[in-house]
Amino acid sequence: MPKLNLLTSIIFFFSMATLQVIQSQTIINGKVTSVTGMPIPGANIYLQGTYDGATSLDDGTFSFLTHETGTQTLIISYLSFQTCRMMDEVLSMRDLSISLRENVNALDAVVLSAGTFHAGDHSKINVLKPLDVVTTASALGDFIGALQTLPGTTTVAEDGRLFVRGGQARETQIFIDGIRVFTPYTPTTNNTPTRGRYSPFLFDGITFSTGGYSAEYGQALSGVLLLNTINEPDQEKTDVGLMSLGVKLGNTQKWRTGSLSVNMSYINLAPYNAILPNRNQFIKPYESVSGESVFRRKTRKGLFKLYGAYDSTNFELIQEDINKPEGLFFKLDNQNAYFNGSYGGVLGEAWSMHAGLSYTRAKNKRRIDDRAIAAVEKAIHAKIKFKNHISNYWRLYFGAEYLTTDFNEPYGDAPNEALEYGFRNDIAAAFVETDIFVSKDLAFKAGLRSECSALLNDFSLVPRVSLALKTSSKSQLSLAYGSFFQTPSNHLLKFNTNFKPQNAKHYILNYQHNSNGRLFRAEAYFKSYDNLAKYDSDIPRANSYFTSDGKAYARGIDFFWRDSESLRHVDYWMSYSLLDTRRNDDNYPKSVQPSYVNTHNLSLVGKYWINKWRSQVGLSYSFASGRPYTNPNRTGFLNAKTRAYNNLSLNWAYLISQQKIVYASVNNVLGFKNINGYQYATSPDVTGHFNRRALQPAADQFFFVGFFWTISDDKNRNQLDNL
Amino acid sequence: MKQIIFILSLSVCGLMQSQSPYEKGMETAFELWKNSPIEASNLFERIAQAEPDNWLPPYYAAQILIINSFGLNNVEQLTAQLNKAQDLINEAQIISNNNPEIMVLQALLHTAWLAYDGATYGRTLSPKIMEIYNTAEQLAPENPRVTYCKAEWNMRSAQYFGQDTAPYCKDFEKALELFANFKPETSFHPNWGKERTTLLLESCRN
Repeated sequence: MPKLNLLTSIIFFFSMATLQVIQSQTIINGKVTSVTGMPIPGANIYLQGTYDGATSLDDGTFSFLTHETGTQTLIISYLSFQTCRMMDEVLSMRDLSISLRENVNALDAVVLSAGTFHAGDHSKINVLKPLDVVTTASALGDFIGALQTLPGTTTVAEDGRLFVRGGQARETQIFIDGIRVFTPYTPTTNNTPTRGRYSPFLFDGITFSTGGYSAEYGQALSGVLLLNTINEPDQEKTDVGLMSLGVKLGNTQKWRTGSLSVNMSYINLAPYNAILPNRNQFIKPYESVSGESVFRRKTRKGLFKLYGAYDSTNFELIQEDINKPEGLFFKLDNQNAYFNGSYGGVLGEAWSMHAGLSYTRAKNKRRIDDRAIAAVEKAIHAKIKFKNHISNYWRLYFGAEYLTTDFNEPYGDAPNEALEYGFRNDIAAAFVETDIFVSKDLAFKAGLRSECSALLNDFSLVPRVSLALKTSSKSQLSLAYGSFFQTPSNHLLKFNTNFKPQNAKHYILNYQHNSNGRLFRAEAYFKSYDNLAKYDSDIPRANSYFTSDGKAYARGIDFFWRDSESLRHVDYWMSYSLLDTRRNDDNYPKSVQPSYVNTHNLSLVGKYWINKWRSQVGLSYSFASGRPYTNPNRTGFLNAKTRAYNNLSLNWAYLISQQKIVYASVNNVLGFKNINGYQYATSPDVTGHFNRRALQPAADQFFFVGFFWTISDDKNRNQLDNL
Repeated sequence: MKQIIFILSLSVCGLMQSQSPYEKGMETAFELWKNSPIEASNLFERIAQAEPDNWLPPYYAAQILIINSFGLNNVEQLTAQLNKAQDLINEAQIISNNNPEIMVLQALLHTAWLAYDGATYGRTLSPKIMEIYNTAEQLAPENPRVTYCKAEWNMRSAQYFGQDTAPYCKDFEKALELFANFKPETSFHPNWGKERTTLLLESCRN
């Protein structure tokens, strides 16, 4: 009996205990699926603020017990899905069927990307990687050069600026941290391509749009290039660069609430010209001193950045000229200062803001033979932008900006007898834009931009819309439409301000397919121009007759293919652009293909990493069909075409260690004799024939050798031992 | 006899009750980690939201996701996991600022990106990783994980650049000494890495 007693008491005790547990615990169960009905395993399901929860099984089901009672919040979360919250009585949380919406920020979600290329880190559709900018063989460390290997750009080898889809270079605007750069390129001599003024290492994100861009950007008819400076430098370091063209020095300091980076460079082409003479006869070789710095300060809710750049360039030379056997004297003295201050921060739960101000002062003194021209351009851009993150599916942006340019050009030697040209241009603009994600597979962007120009006495309101649709898990289709305005350029406005704003309308259809390491993009577009500025003399003059009657169109298709997966250690991309454009602007007598446009552009860039040698060997080839020029020996305007352009460049980067790199490159290895156009004599010779001179690059080939060394505060390592 | 059993069972119940839900949860999570890491990470995450002032649960939830992401080839999965791990690290950092243990984890997360695609992330992330280890070392020169993770990073870089790895042996030896003297604050505080350091010491000698 005692034994039985014991047993009963044990049974009694345990059943009581179990009963108690059952009585006070509630079961919560159900199934987690995606909107399409696929079960989601591994989701985390729990009651907010408690320890009670479970992980869903392979079939998406879950079940757990809780002591909680009353109304509770059940949270269901899984990696790339939007977290779901439901408030209910615990007792009614039975046999739940929960469907999770996919997060529109997920990597495989649709991207509003028509017309746009990205280069950066975590961006979803990177076309270029950060290092590509400096390791593209033909780019010579210039980020503009690397972008010229992308489709939609035209090869204008003697110029070096970005020409987008049949537009002139000035139709593409450059922005740093959302704020306009008024003079982005360094001045050069004839037949020598220019470079971007700014060091690629100061930027961590580059977005290049060849059409259909956001309502936030104005005063650009063809394209925008957006550069974002680094928010927080990684480490304190000193950079030293010794190059065949000069030296570079940089230093970064960090402290708790901010940092300061300073870069300086000195370029002098005298030694290079002495060893390898070129077609220009330099009296004073190209010399430039430049410095740039970024100061960053973190505040409690945001980040303040101040970017400043100054550079001074001068040279003096005698250029070949068909009309002057002794050559044409040309001297240039350019000083450029640029400041850009911006603040970005959060304002509250869903609100954030970004505000910035830039100031440019560019002073350009030229002497052509005995004529001296000094121009000063001062420009200010101020902008404020607000963003409201209404939900993951709906974002709203709006803002306003103000641009003012003051251009002044005294002409002649003595100031008292000089003529003076100039203008002041004030533009105020406001924009509003919204992103709507219907689902992970369908998204819209719609915007409105209004601009008011005091100089042209004009007000405009234009729409920008785009749509993106996922066609499979790896591909998507996008459509974009936009209308864009731009004031005619300085060299016309200084003589005449009675223009209408020039207008372009873009229609874009884009397809892209992106699967691990391979990206294919095809984009067809049509662009129509209206109100382009025209004049009736050989070059614009004070007494020319100016109108806004110019018209143009451009249409074409761009292809891009990048593959870093198929071949081991090989990464390559190919671009092809087909462009058909007719323009009737400037002093054109009729609609023609302009001299800066080629119909076919092809570029191929390849990189091969040789592990054993710790070297990257790069190759880039570009082909461009001939460009039109006017041959006065025949009737007509832009009546002939140059032969096609070819260039094969090679580079080699050798990593001595992580911190030391030797870099060498040769531009135009095969020595193609490229001709950019012809200069004809102004008067015919005795036989009635106009003589001509081929416009060739200053040198067919270009060599570059550099040694780059980063010294950082790394105590465990002494790089000197490895030299 | 009855009384004895009754008293015994009562005392057992009492013992069980004296363990807090936090301790029980953490123990269960560590137990789960052995066989089903994702479930363990989920549990750590649940504990994190119930204990908003404790940096350990989000730390472990992130650590599991990071370890799990090494060797993943699916870029969508990898991005989702590492982004979540980053959020959890950010949470932990808000609770405990300037914590060398969290810094080590942040460096490991960067390393996971780098291991996935060195060409894309090498230039931007390797200086960040170096900077984090340097700061952590200044804050906690006696922390064995800081010492060994930094030495491993340096050794891997040296291997990549074809340099001698022998100089790092002494760092691993030092880390082992530090492990021998290391006392975690509680039994739940980070105390991992000794076995790996031993392995690394062997590999650097060869």
